[in-house]
Amino acid sequence: MKRTLTIATVSVALACTVHAAQADLLDDITKTGKIRVATDLAIPPSGMIDSAMKPTGSDVETAELLAKDWGLQLEFVQTTGATRIPNVQTNKADIIISTLSVTPERAKVIDFSKPYAALQSVVGCLKSVEAKSWDDLKGKTIAVSRGTTQDTTLTNMKDRDLKLARYEDDATMVTAAVSGQADCVATSATIVSQIGVKAPSRPFEPKVSITNFDLAIGLKKGEPKLLEKLNAWVEQNLKNGKLNVIYKKFHGTELPENMRG
Amino acid sequence: MGLNLDFSVVLERWPLFLDGAVMTLELAFMAILIGGAVGTLCAVGRGSSNRFIAALCAGYVEAIRNTPLLVQIFLVYFGLASIGFKFSAFSVAAVALAINVGAYTAEIMRAGFESIPTGQIEAAEGLALSRVQVYWHVILLPAIEKVYPSLTSQFVLLMLASSVTSQISAEELTAVANYVQSDTYRAFETYILVALCYVVLSLVLRAAFWALGLILFPRRRRLGTSL
Repeated sequence: MKRTLTIATVSVALACTVHAAQADLLDDITKTGKIRVATDLAIPPSGMIDSAMKPTGSDVETAELLAKDWGLQLEFVQTTGATRIPNVQTNKADIIISTLSVTPERAKVIDFSKPYAALQSVVGCLKSVEAKSWDDLKGKTIAVSRGTTQDTTLTNMKDRDLKLARYEDDATMVTAAVSGQADCVATSATIVSQIGVKAPSRPFEPKVSITNFDLAIGLKKGEPKLLEKLNAWVEQNLKNGKLNVIYKKFHGTELPENMRG
Repeated sequence: MGLNLDFSVVLERWPLFLDGAVMTLELAFMAILIGGAVGTLCAVGRGSSNRFIAALCAGYVEAIRNTPLLVQIFLVYFGLASIGFKFSAFSVAAVALAINVGAYTAEIMRAGFESIPTGQIEAAEGLALSRVQVYWHVILLPAIEKVYPSLTSQFVLLMLASSVTSQISAEELTAVANYVQSDTYRAFETYILVALCYVVLSLVLRAAFWALGLILFPRRRRLGTSL
């Protein structure tokens, strides 16, 4: 108990000094000429390490583009899904670019920029399958991973008369698609386009959109100047198509239409 | 650390569990029917004087008894689809389970056949029974009667093993359980309930085999003893 108290006191003290020293994050970034970006490098194809041991992925290239545009040196802070937000709260990183979806719970503790990408959840089918709407999917068997958001969402669409085949995990679901047991899968757009990469004889493409989760850059609360600059940057690069190019390069599909400029 | 059990959310999904239990029984029934026949034929084939048939049956039994059931199921499910045959998960599960239980049945039946004394067969031939009559009344039925408890136990095991077919999206009892627990986050309650369901199914299966034994074997019916 005593120890926890000490740690708490020390961290509060530390937090205060840090806060005092960095009254404005944007000023500090400009002064040091360096931006620290928290990115998870273990979630391909958003963040990963290539064969030359260099970080790559859509989030990595987004961060590189930002640093280049702002004329800053880029420093990656390796993070995991769970430590993304604490990283900016404790000032270990300036911003988060790490497949961070915008949720109301998170918005209570950090600020979000405008969305720069999206996590697209879709029903994807063999390219040869004619399917444009939910009606076309009636009676077709759709493979899902059991218990995922796609499973729950599609299970609740009772009036749409969908036939679901539930597999234990993504790997088995993809095998079902590759081997020909399933002609349709409900999963992320990224996985759908990867099926065709791994099994060129059975190319899949997104057919019907289920939901899109906005992915945004996260930063500490109370940094209006940095937030404004990030928003302007995101808007500009969505408009000139650069973010779409990065997304397509790694995820195999374009950003949702309403995001493209 | 108090254990906080809440069965209500799990119990209100009882129609799902019922569907799952029915499918588990259907799977077991199909597999026992096909597998039992295949196994018996295979046991006969292993003793055949035709060396090719004997080797074929021995190869099948050894291949199945030395590989895991899950691997066999994946081989049939994804293998068949890769070469262009697409069957429903249920049929593939039933066939894969039948192939599996067939090999074990073959070994059990072989023991049954070997337990029939040559003198018994010679006596039947001496009484001028036809070949079919000898096979049916003097060899097959007594052989089954002798290994009946082992067969029953193997078939109950098969019913329990059908749980792994949830992996290839057959919606049997375990698949339902996996789904319900991912939906309700009440894993402990769900699996307790499913375990109870399996106990009931096992008892039902045992009772069915006991009744079948009474019908098949007159000695049991009349004297209450087995061979």
